[in-house]
Amino acid sequence: MNAFEGTLSKESGGRRWLVPALLALLVFGALPALLAGFDRGYFYQIANLALIFVLLSASMHLVTGVAGLLHLGHAAFYGVGAYTAALLTSKLGLGFTVTLPLSGVVAALLAFLVALPTMRLVSIYFAVATLAIGQMLYLVMLNWVDFTKGPNGIIVTKGFELFGVALSGRLASYYTVAVVVVLCVVAIGRLSHSYYGNALRSIREDDQCADAMGVRTVRLKMEVFTLSAFFAGVAGALWAHMTGYISPGDFKFSESILILAMVVVGGLGSLPGAIIGALLLILLPEGLRALGDFRNVMVGLVMFLSILLLPKGLLGEVSALRLVRRQLGGAWRSTGKGEGIGWR
Amino acid sequence: MIDPYYLQQLAIGLSLGMTYALMAIGFTLIFGVLNVVNFAHGEIYTLGAFAGLVLISAVAPPIVAVIFGALAVGALAGFSLERLAFKPFRRFTDEASLKSRAMRESTLLSSLAVSIVVREALEILFGSEMRSLPFDYLINTPVRIGPVILVTGDFIIFGVAAAMLIGLQYLLTRTRIGLAIRAVSNNPLGAKYVGIDTDRTIITTFVVGSMMGAAAGILMGLYYGAIFPAMGFVPGIKAFVAMVMGGLSSIPGAVVCALILGVAESMATTFVSSGWSDMVAYAFLILTLIFFPNGLFGARRERV
Amino acid sequence: MTHLLDVRNASRRFGGVQAVNDVTAHVDEGELVGLIGPNGAGKTTLFNLMSGFTPLSSGTVAFAGRTINGMKPNQVARLGVGRTFQNLRVFPNMSVFDNVSVGAVGTLPQGPAGALFGGFTKAGTERADAISRRTWEALEAVGLTHLAGELAANLPYGQRKYLEIARALAMRPRFLILDEPAAGLNDTETRALAAFIKRLHGQGLTIMLVEHDMGLVMGICQRILVLASGRKIADGPPDLIRRDPAVLEAYLGVES
Repeated sequence: MNAFEGTLSKESGGRRWLVPALLALLVFGALPALLAGFDRGYFYQIANLALIFVLLSASMHLVTGVAGLLHLGHAAFYGVGAYTAALLTSKLGLGFTVTLPLSGVVAALLAFLVALPTMRLVSIYFAVATLAIGQMLYLVMLNWVDFTKGPNGIIVTKGFELFGVALSGRLASYYTVAVVVVLCVVAIGRLSHSYYGNALRSIREDDQCADAMGVRTVRLKMEVFTLSAFFAGVAGALWAHMTGYISPGDFKFSESILILAMVVVGGLGSLPGAIIGALLLILLPEGLRALGDFRNVMVGLVMFLSILLLPKGLLGEVSALRLVRRQLGGAWRSTGKGEGIGWR
Repeated sequence: MIDPYYLQQLAIGLSLGMTYALMAIGFTLIFGVLNVVNFAHGEIYTLGAFAGLVLISAVAPPIVAVIFGALAVGALAGFSLERLAFKPFRRFTDEASLKSRAMRESTLLSSLAVSIVVREALEILFGSEMRSLPFDYLINTPVRIGPVILVTGDFIIFGVAAAMLIGLQYLLTRTRIGLAIRAVSNNPLGAKYVGIDTDRTIITTFVVGSMMGAAAGILMGLYYGAIFPAMGFVPGIKAFVAMVMGGLSSIPGAVVCALILGVAESMATTFVSSGWSDMVAYAFLILTLIFFPNGLFGARRERV
Repeated sequence: MTHLLDVRNASRRFGGVQAVNDVTAHVDEGELVGLIGPNGAGKTTLFNLMSGFTPLSSGTVAFAGRTINGMKPNQVARLGVGRTFQNLRVFPNMSVFDNVSVGAVGTLPQGPAGALFGGFTKAGTERADAISRRTWEALEAVGLTHLAGELAANLPYGQRKYLEIARALAMRPRFLILDEPAAGLNDTETRALAAFIKRLHGQGLTIMLVEHDMGLVMGICQRILVLASGRKIADGPPDLIRRDPAVLEAYLGVES
C-alpha cells in the first residue's frame, strides 16, 4: 500500500526540512570541521574529488537513470568543461566566476550539437554513438596540440575566486566545491523529481507509449542530454581550478565507465543512489589505498557484483522515490484533501 | 599510372583492414548473430595475446603450439564469460523478459564490468606497459611484390581470416550446430520449444567466437610484436564499427567493411598525423548509424 | 458541419499487402463508435493511421478540421486524441500516480525550466497544480486513487487496464480510442468495462472502440464500422449491422 502518503499527510510543514537540514549541516558544518581538525591537504583533496564525482554521478543519473539513455561518453563532456575553464584562464586570463558557468554552457552546446543527429538512435546504437563521440573528443584533447597542448596537459594558473576575491585556502576551496555541487545536485533533484522527471521516466519505460501520451520524446531526450552535459561541464571547471593541472588522461573512456558504475551500483533512476555510488567508488578505493593497484579491479568487481546481486542497486529507484518524497520532498506536497499529492 | 606511394598505402590499409576483420569475425558471431551485447570481446583478444606471451616466455614452443594455446585459452575465456556475465541474466521463460531492455542492458553492463576486471587484473599481473615478444617469433619479415612491400604476417593474417570466414560459413550453414545457432539467434523461445538445447548452443557460440577473438589477439601480438593489457580496446571498437557498417548480422559484410575501414585509415594518415587516424573509425561509425542504419549493404534484421 | 474525425480514401500498403484500402469514415463529436472486423481486416492499421503511428500511403485523415497526415504521434496526441494499447503498455517501474501523470504532462508540458523554477513562479505553480489535478481526476474516474502510490507492475491485469485508460483520460482527450479493451477479461469484467465505457461516453467523451468482442460492441456502440480485407464493408447502427449480408458473409459467416 501507499504507506508514504499516510506519513506525508501527518508530517506537514516543518519536519520535512529536518533531513535536508541535517544533510546541509553535515556537508557545510561537520565535514569541514573534521577536515580542518585533521588539517591534511590530502583529506581535502579526497573530499573535493568525492564531491566532484557526486556531481558527475548525479548528472549521469539524469540521462541514464531517469531518461534511460545509456551514455558511454560522459567523461568527455566533463573534459570539455575542464578544458574550457583551463583555456579561458590561460588564454584570456578569466577567473573562476566566469569560467564556471561558461564551462557548463560550452559542454552543453557541444552536447546539443552532438545530440541533433544522434538522438533518434535507439538503445545500444545510442550507447555506441556516445562512446564514439566521447572518444572523438578525447582524441581532440590528445592530438590538437596547438590548442590543448596534447598529452602534456594544461596548467591552470588560477584557483577559486568569487568576483575577484580569491578563495584560495583549503577550507575555502572545499566550501566553493561544496556550494557549487550542492546547488547543482539540488537542481538535478528538482529536474528528476517533478512531472518533467516523470515524462523522462516514461521515455525510459516505453518511448512509443510516451509518444502516444503527447510526450515529445526526441525533444526531451535532447534536453536531458544537454542538461547533463552542462552539469558535467561545471564539474570539469571545478576539477580544473581545484587541481591546477589537467591532461587528457583524466577524461578517457575508463572515467566514463567509472561514472556509469557509480550510477549502476547506487541504483539506476535513484538520485540518492547515484550519490551513494559516487561516494562509495571514490572513498572505498581511497580507504583501501594499501591495496594499491587493486583499486581499479575493485571498480569492476563492485559493479559486477552489484549488477548480479543487487539488480536494483544499493538504493533502488522505487525506494529512493519514496525516500525523497517523504524526507526531502521540497517540491512534493499535499493539497489538503488528504490523499491529494503531487509535485510543484 | 598510380603513384607507388598510394599503392603502398593501399597495401598497408588492406593489411590493417585484415587485422580488423580478424577481430570482427568472432565479434560479429557473438554480437550480431547471437544478438547479445558483449563488451568483453576486446579482453578475450587481449587474453589470447597474453596466453601466447606466457607460453612463449615459459616453454618457447613452436609457433603453431602458441596459437593452439591461445585458442584453448580463448575457448575457456568464452565459456567463463558466458557463465559469469550472461547466463545469470538470461531467462527464456517468456517473450517479455527476453525482449526487455533491462535484460539487454544488464548483460551489456555485466560484460563491461567483467572486461574492466580482466583488464585491470592483467595490468596487476603484467604491468600496464607494452611487453615485447621475442624477435624470432614475429611474423614481419618483409616481402616485396613489385613496388609494394608487405610482410609475411599479412599473408598469414589473410590466410587465417579467410579460413575463419569459410569455416564459419560452413559451420553456420552446413552443420547441425550451425543450424541450432541460427535458430537460437532467430527466435530463442521457438528454438527452445522445438527441442534445441539453447543453453548449450549459446555456450558453443561464445566458445567459437572467443576462440576466434583469442586467435586474432595472438596473431596481432606476433604481427606488431607488442602486447599490453589495454590492447583490446581499439580493435574492439574497430570490429564494432565494421560490424555495424556491415549490417550487424552479416559476417562477410563485416569483413568487407573492416577492409574499407583499414584502407580509409591508412589513406587518412597521408593527410593528417597518425594520432588522428582513429578518428576515421569513429566518424564512420557515427555516419553509418545516422545515414545507413541498415548497414552499407542494406537488409538488417528487425531489431530494436 | 465538419466531423471530429474525418478519414478520406485512406490507404496503407505494407510491401505488397494492402492493409487499409481506400477507407472513408468519420466520427462525430459525442459518438460512441465501434470498429470491428475479422483478424487481419486492418483494424489496427486504421487505428494507427488515426493516431499518427503509421503514415498514410494515400488519402487524408483530419481531426477537428486539421489534417494530421505526417504528424508525429505526440502531435496528434496533443491535438486531443488519446489511445490505449492492445497489449497493456503501462510503465511498469513507475507508480500508479506517476503513470497517470505522464498523460497529464504530455498535454500540459512542463519543461526543465518549469521543473527547476516552477515552484517559484505563479504560472509554474499553476501548471504543476493543473497536472496534479488532472492526474487525480483521472485516477478517480477509474477508481484507482487508493492505489496511487503502488508500483504499476504490482497491479493485477484488470487494474492495469484501467490504469492505461486513466493515463489516456489524464490527457483530457477530445477523442479516445480504446484498442481491444476487453481482451483477456472474463464476462463479469467485460460487463463492468462496458458500463464504465458507457459512463465515460455519458460524460460527453467521444469514443471509438476497436474490438474483437462482438457482444461488447453490439451492446454499447451507437454506430459500428466494419472492416474486412482492408475495406470498409458496412457502417451503421448495431441492429442494421447485425442484418447486413456483407457483414454476415465476411465476419459472422466466418466466425460463427
